[in-house]
Amino acid sequence: MALNPMYRRALALTIQQVSRQQTAAASTVSKIGNRDVVGFGMNGTPSYIDRVDFPMPAIRFKENTPDIQALREKEKEDWKKLTLEEKKALYRASFCQTFAEMKAPTGEWKSVLGITLILSSLGIWIYMWMKMYVYDDLPESFKPEHQEAQLKRMIGLGANPVQGISSKWDYAKGDWK
Amino acid sequence: MFRLALTRLSQVARTSTLEATLPAVTVGRSMSKHSTETDEELDARYEAYFSRSDIDGWEIRKAMNDLCGMDLVPEPKIVIAALKACRRNNDFALAVRFLEAVREKCGRKEKAIYPYILQEINPTLQELGISTPEELGYDKPELALASVYD
Repeated sequence: MALNPMYRRALALTIQQVSRQQTAAASTVSKIGNRDVVGFGMNGTPSYIDRVDFPMPAIRFKENTPDIQALREKEKEDWKKLTLEEKKALYRASFCQTFAEMKAPTGEWKSVLGITLILSSLGIWIYMWMKMYVYDDLPESFKPEHQEAQLKRMIGLGANPVQGISSKWDYAKGDWK
Repeated sequence: MFRLALTRLSQVARTSTLEATLPAVTVGRSMSKHSTETDEELDARYEAYFSRSDIDGWEIRKAMNDLCGMDLVPEPKIVIAALKACRRNNDFALAVRFLEAVREKCGRKEKAIYPYILQEINPTLQELGISTPEELGYDKPELALASVYD
């Protein structure tokens, strides 16, 4: 007997959802491989990130290999018996970078400054080319003789007599005050 | 109506069977996000949390991340409790990482605060055999990480 089409669709959707959830779970696990999930991390996902404000990531850095397993066994006993090399190996097994390495200067500022200055000088070259080949010459009224004549006319008309140019001219003397 | 009652019942049953939840602020009725907890209460809360005998690695790390998210340098007694919790969980690297994090929390006053903390926790370091990051040579960068962009 054929199922009601509505029930059949609901069943198909449920199966699809379940299989999707299963593949999602499988893909999360396969992304981190053999690594232990040890904490909450930044947001609950099993990811590794080195940040000074979230010191403990969610997973260990290295996968569990036999020699790391051997170190873990030794870790269960007295830590005074660990050699310096073993202590450092244990640290590097759980973490990628130390705080000093995270915070070490990258020297990126040099490339940023250099590229900025190069682009600025390119801009100046382009301006010089534009001035030489693209822009028209300045009009005649910019010449000094023309500018003097314009100034003489402005004073003759009494432009800005209160606080401006004509207030600086002594009309009785015929010269600047 | 019964369905609502049943969901409520299951929720209550679920929360009561959960393991001890993370240290939460217990205030009477706070109308704002501003916490009324004193410094001593916070210290006591975190020290008690780390001193739990059945604490596991997940909880230690969550509490450490939360502590490092706060605008404070952990008191030596909290640091000691956390280091002992690492020992109970047989996690040496976590102890060293926590010491690095505490040093980072000192910020610009590192020269004043960090030697004091080291001095206070030194008996515990000796007792548990924990090396400070400086002893491991991790106060300077040791390895370089290749950039992913190259």
